[in-house]
Amino acid sequence: MRYAIEVRGLKKSFGEVQALRCVDLAAAPGTVLGVLGPNGAGKTTAVRVMSTLTRPDAGTAHVLGLDVTTRAAQVRERIGLTGQYAGLDPNLSGEQNLVLIARLLGASRRQARTRAHELLERFDLAHAATRAAGKYSGGMRRRLDLAASIVRRPEVLFLDEPTTGLDPKSRGGLWEVVRELVAAGTTVLLTTQYLEEADQLADSIAVIDAGRVIASGTPSQLKQAVGGQVLRLSPARPEAAERLVQLAEWAIDVKARNEDGTVVVPVANAGEAQAVMARVGQAGIDLAGFGLDEPTLDEVFLTLTGHRAEARDDERTKEPAA
Amino acid sequence: MTALHTNAATDTTWTTKRGALAQSASMAARSLASIRHQPAQLIDFFMIPLMILLSITFFMGGQMMGSWQDFLQYAGPTIIAMGLFFAIVATGLGLYGDIKEGVFDRLTAMPVSRFALLAGRIGADMAKHAWALLVVGGVAFAIGYRAEGGVLGTAAAAGVLLLFLFSASWTMALAGLTAKSEEQIQTWMISLLMPLAYTSTIFVEIETLPGAVQWLAEINPLSALADSMRVFLDGGTPGGEVLALFGWCAAIVAVFVPLSLRAYRRRLGD
Repeated sequence: MRYAIEVRGLKKSFGEVQALRCVDLAAAPGTVLGVLGPNGAGKTTAVRVMSTLTRPDAGTAHVLGLDVTTRAAQVRERIGLTGQYAGLDPNLSGEQNLVLIARLLGASRRQARTRAHELLERFDLAHAATRAAGKYSGGMRRRLDLAASIVRRPEVLFLDEPTTGLDPKSRGGLWEVVRELVAAGTTVLLTTQYLEEADQLADSIAVIDAGRVIASGTPSQLKQAVGGQVLRLSPARPEAAERLVQLAEWAIDVKARNEDGTVVVPVANAGEAQAVMARVGQAGIDLAGFGLDEPTLDEVFLTLTGHRAEARDDERTKEPAA
Repeated sequence: MTALHTNAATDTTWTTKRGALAQSASMAARSLASIRHQPAQLIDFFMIPLMILLSITFFMGGQMMGSWQDFLQYAGPTIIAMGLFFAIVATGLGLYGDIKEGVFDRLTAMPVSRFALLAGRIGADMAKHAWALLVVGGVAFAIGYRAEGGVLGTAAAAGVLLLFLFSASWTMALAGLTAKSEEQIQTWMISLLMPLAYTSTIFVEIETLPGAVQWLAEINPLSALADSMRVFLDGGTPGGEVLALFGWCAAIVAVFVPLSLRAYRRRLGD
């Protein structure tokens, strides 16, 4: 088996809305595939198809070599799923939630309790074991949710936006868990809106927009395609911004933008940033500030598609049939 | 957090073969577990049937049969049955809520019997109905109701009532899986369950009904239920009415279990 997850030409419509127009994905066993895209891009629908919850209109999806539509029962034996909305019973305690899942998966009462305690310990939830999950904080609920999806260690784990809405510390904690699972041999498919998250975790990334994969490759390939980092320059006098754009474009072969008086220059590496800064210094333009940042998802989209992720979203809401 | 090796230590290839019924029991226990966090729910379960029994008996009973005591003796148990019959809506609302909250997404992506996911909810609701029956039945006894059929007759009447509620709950499972909103489920209850109850022999003797309604009352499953309960409670010899009730229960289950499972697959997994 070459791929633990292999998806070809997936299409799915809900009434007039085409959630998936054409999605191809592949993840080698024991790797992390990051599916990056804005809200409404089709990420959740793709995950639901791969985890046997939604039947596609066209195309095929294989998980561990098994067709998810014809061999759904076998697929369910071997996957774990953490959906975008917590799949927990808010009225049950953290422990009861995990015990229930273990029991449904065939554990004896004793085995279920052992496994639940082990996971609560592992996810820093032992102190809240008997508290109702509905009373957990956002970060705790996400951790419990992830714990629930690995009660029986899955061979393939689907995580649909596991860190959306989390603070940086909780996010880092979840990343650590994902890395451990992968080290133990699990294949992970993770959807995210954060470029940094995909960069941190994924061996390969597929960028998805309006139900289509618009770019894929390793994080470094993708970053090269979008210019790696961005240099932001704020001139002391706003009217100097246009001049800065010119200078930057002369210094390195790139398309710079003036965004409300801040000049944004995609750069491939620190050397290019230095070259731009040198040019600006020679021209004697005073800067109020400058900085080197990771490009945001928005900037990735702008580079890859020529439109902004959020604007794209608005358009789609207005014209679902388009 | 402890290191991964604890994670890898426990074997999770559980081999216990737990069938659909054992899984249903796990799911039922899950629905009932919330009572431990909110014990006040125990009161909610019997409030509606209790209020229906007391208000109808005291405010209308006298007018309908001369004295409320006579009315209680005739219609008390069947009015309790009607209150519990209305309570099956909880099954629909509960399933609707489970699906909306995403709890069922994870369970559906697991190798768990679909039947168990639905039957678990119904099983838990049956436990709640049984509890409500115990409390409201106790109140009826306290205010003077006496069954001529004794303990055995009372137990048999409770048994057929619970059997009927179990069957009827599958109609609500279908409602919960196909409804677009909670309001829709409530509307179905008012427009379907209530007329069904009022055109049966729950309140009145069949001879007192107008002609067309008499025909309706005769084929009404709730009449079969009410008549069966009365036979057992009055210590009579069970006959056609009990057979009719069993027939209804079998038919409802035979139709609505497959329909509910199909609706489930359409809602999740298709």
